[in-house]
Amino acid sequence: MSGEVKGLRPIKIEDLLQRTVYDVDEEPHIEIIDERGVPKELVKLCPCSCYSMVGERLLYSYEGCLECGLCRVLSEPWGLRWEYPKSGRGVQYRFT
Amino acid sequence: MRIVVGIKWVPNTQAVRFDPKTGTLIRAGVPSIVNPHDFPAIELALRLRDNYGGEVIAISMAPPGAIQGLEHVLGMGADKAVLLTDRKFAGADTLATSYVLAKGIEKISREIGPVDLAIFGHETIDSSTAHIGAQVASWLGWPYVYYVRDAKLVGDGVIRALRQTEKAVEEYDIKLPAVLATAIKALKPRPVRLSYKLRAKLEKPIIIWTNDDLGLDPRCTGLKGSPTIVANITWMPEVPRKKIVYKPKDPRDAARWILRQLFTDEAVAPFLRKALWGEE
Amino acid sequence: MSNSNVPSKFDVVVVGAGPAGSSAAYLLAKAGFKVLIVERGRGAGTKELYGGKIYAPPLREVWPNLDKEAPIHRWVTTERLSFVWKGRVTTLDFKLGRRVAFTTYLTEMAKWMADKAVEAGAVLVDEVRVDEIITEGGKVIGIRSGPDKLYADIVVDAEGVNRILLEKLGLAEKINPDTVALGVKEVINVGKKAIEERLLLTENEGMAWLLMGDITQGIPGGGFIYTMKDTIALGLVLHIGKAYEAAKSGALKDTVPMMLEKLRVHPYFSRIWRDADVLEYGAHMTIEGGLRYMPKKLYMNGLVVVGDAAGLLLNTGYTIRGVDFAVYSGKLAAEAIIKAFENGGPTEENLSLYEHMLKQSFVYKELVKHSGIVKMMEDPTFFTKLPAIVNGMMGKLFEADYEEPTVLEALLESFREEEMSLTRFLLKMFSVVSRL
Ligand SMILES: Cc1cc2nc3c(=O)[nH]c(=O)nc-3n(C[C@H](O)[C@H](O)[C@H](O)COP(=O)(O)OP(=O)(O)OC[C@H]3O[C@@H](n4cnc5c(N)ncnc54)[C@H](O)[C@@H]3O)c2cc1C
Ligand code: SF4
Repeated sequence: MSGEVKGLRPIKIEDLLQRTVYDVDEEPHIEIIDERGVPKELVKLCPCSCYSMVGERLLYSYEGCLECGLCRVLSEPWGLRWEYPKSGRGVQYRFT
Repeated sequence: MRIVVGIKWVPNTQAVRFDPKTGTLIRAGVPSIVNPHDFPAIELALRLRDNYGGEVIAISMAPPGAIQGLEHVLGMGADKAVLLTDRKFAGADTLATSYVLAKGIEKISREIGPVDLAIFGHETIDSSTAHIGAQVASWLGWPYVYYVRDAKLVGDGVIRALRQTEKAVEEYDIKLPAVLATAIKALKPRPVRLSYKLRAKLEKPIIIWTNDDLGLDPRCTGLKGSPTIVANITWMPEVPRKKIVYKPKDPRDAARWILRQLFTDEAVAPFLRKALWGEE
Repeated sequence: MSNSNVPSKFDVVVVGAGPAGSSAAYLLAKAGFKVLIVERGRGAGTKELYGGKIYAPPLREVWPNLDKEAPIHRWVTTERLSFVWKGRVTTLDFKLGRRVAFTTYLTEMAKWMADKAVEAGAVLVDEVRVDEIITEGGKVIGIRSGPDKLYADIVVDAEGVNRILLEKLGLAEKINPDTVALGVKEVINVGKKAIEERLLLTENEGMAWLLMGDITQGIPGGGFIYTMKDTIALGLVLHIGKAYEAAKSGALKDTVPMMLEKLRVHPYFSRIWRDADVLEYGAHMTIEGGLRYMPKKLYMNGLVVVGDAAGLLLNTGYTIRGVDFAVYSGKLAAEAIIKAFENGGPTEENLSLYEHMLKQSFVYKELVKHSGIVKMMEDPTFFTKLPAIVNGMMGKLFEADYEEPTVLEALLESFREEEMSLTRFLLKMFSVVSRL
């Protein structure tokens, strides 16, 4: 298409999350209890790509979590321990 | 026991980005936080108070914005907070900062009650000097132990500080009053509690002292009292990094694969061989 | 430790310092109640993320000085709707006749609202997560956070869309993925001058721009662009139930953040922010169908539920109205609580006034009026065919080499290409519209 803006490339999620402020808690606020109750589709759907497949296993890291609640909605209650972070920690939105 | 714990209000460095175009740090809109390495110090102070009674007083030399951070510490259970704030304190290096803090601690001793122990974090995330604890101890003339992981009272007026070095755990028995600095991540901090935070909001137990209260010679505070000269800063060049994702089914394959990568890498392999087998 | 003068009971405890909680707290504190707001974030607003546009009139009923005092970025003077399909874009551009809505950051706006409540005498305790609403003999008596309990004559639940506390209390079911949408958003640092030049705005004039089409890769939802003072908010809203199906069937190619990034570098739209950096990225959930999201009860002995937690949000696909609905529900709750105390206390019977007032208000009427839209939003015809057909027709009309078709020819041709008959399409649209 004409008029394309040169040099604009999608930013990778790791770089995108660099722009968001966090005060990460030492303790995770979300934990996979039973993988069978957590859908693999979260690898695509989680907005911070916190979920990833390593081999057959679904792994989760909480540091980039945007606290949207999507994974809680899509998982079984026994699949995830899902809480908001304590002490004001976690994502710190500024211009949203 | 009256314990003072030092707090620094620092920009959240995770959020500070480097602008490769201008070579400067983008700090605009970056919120401040309580220096993460201060939390083990706060936790140690609270534990000692919980075990032996007394009170914990958080102290900070900072602009008034730091009240938010002091409230956080009060929310964790500190009893009082002292904010030392004055334009004359601005631009201080560690020497001028530690001087003001030491004078603040002396004033607490005179007016609130004798201070038995002052605890600081290992270092700050925005300047990484690890000077403050040692310097405050020097100003006060108190003994000082750093890299502390835990402490307890043994006998009258004697504290035993556990210090971990690379190879050993050392125990120091020192007479109070004393200064300790904790090691990074030595203790996991407790969360903010509703009842404590509510008390902080209602009773506002934050005492604010300016230089009119401290009466310090302005030549010893702030920029004027700071002999440190930052001659030059060289930013580390961004090293372009290669990223390979390898996702085998079996983790043992992953281990083999990593080893193969490392041992076939011209830059890494010699170091590995030397470290493992002393090969030149 | 001396816990001397700290009360263990308040008249009112509000959970959440969002628009709903802060408006209720403000009005109750002004009426002389002892109000405590408990907020999990570090200060009000730090956990807030939305699109970008707020309808002013309901807010003015709570804060008459809104226009002068609130952190308003721009008044919306232009509304745009674009159909996006395979590189083609058709845009409707509407210049408003009067000012009804403004753009702002919800982070700023929520802080302003909470400050107002504190000025009026409410106490705001931040950095504290409420873990439970506690009951005794079927009556709400207060809240628990960690080991601490705090008692209140009435609790106002304003916890927002993730209503964990209501679920624990048994007042709301586990969230059905078909009733919620995921919003992702970037804030782009375009600069005041560039925004105004590139979007033909003057100072203080703002634009709300909604996008439909293949940017959501077949998932019901859309995109949004809002102009702030010197940044632009760019985002996507995606139906969660359908997004899950698309991911499961393999129809979804990209991750959600990549979908948004592809929109940011879209050849047509990216020229607006071509040289600007992304300042912030975030996500938040919102409600897809308000009435379906509503909990079993909006009140009980000692409790009222307001804002998103109560499902009081209008999502028409072209507009999300949540903030003004939340504020208004907070206002109605405050009024009902004041009345209830005049009549003997916040009993279930006295608080039923809240629901009654809500049903009389524009909030509920709008939700009922637009309930048909929920069906439409789940219908792929609307989200994929419409943008395809519109752009197909425009392509036929304006990309002709020699012979130009008539409008009707172009329309029929593009319908045929999308394997849809005009009558079926019209019937479908009619059935949807009749439900609106
Ligand atoms: C992508 C997107 C776009 C949107 N666009 C618009 C728009 O353009 N215009 C518009 O008007 N609306 C829009 N909305 C909707 C709007 O954001 C919400 O309707 C509105 O914020 C609801 O207000 P609330 O006070 O009910 O809840 P929230 O704003 O969510 O506030 C809830 C508060 O409670 C706190 N909280 C939650 N749980 C606890 C707990 N356990 N303990 C203590 N505190 C707690 C939270 O931290 C938060 O501060 C949008 C929403 C999304 C997601
Ligand atoms: S809450 Fe949202 S951002 Fe956090 S892990 Fe779950 S899906 Fe990802």
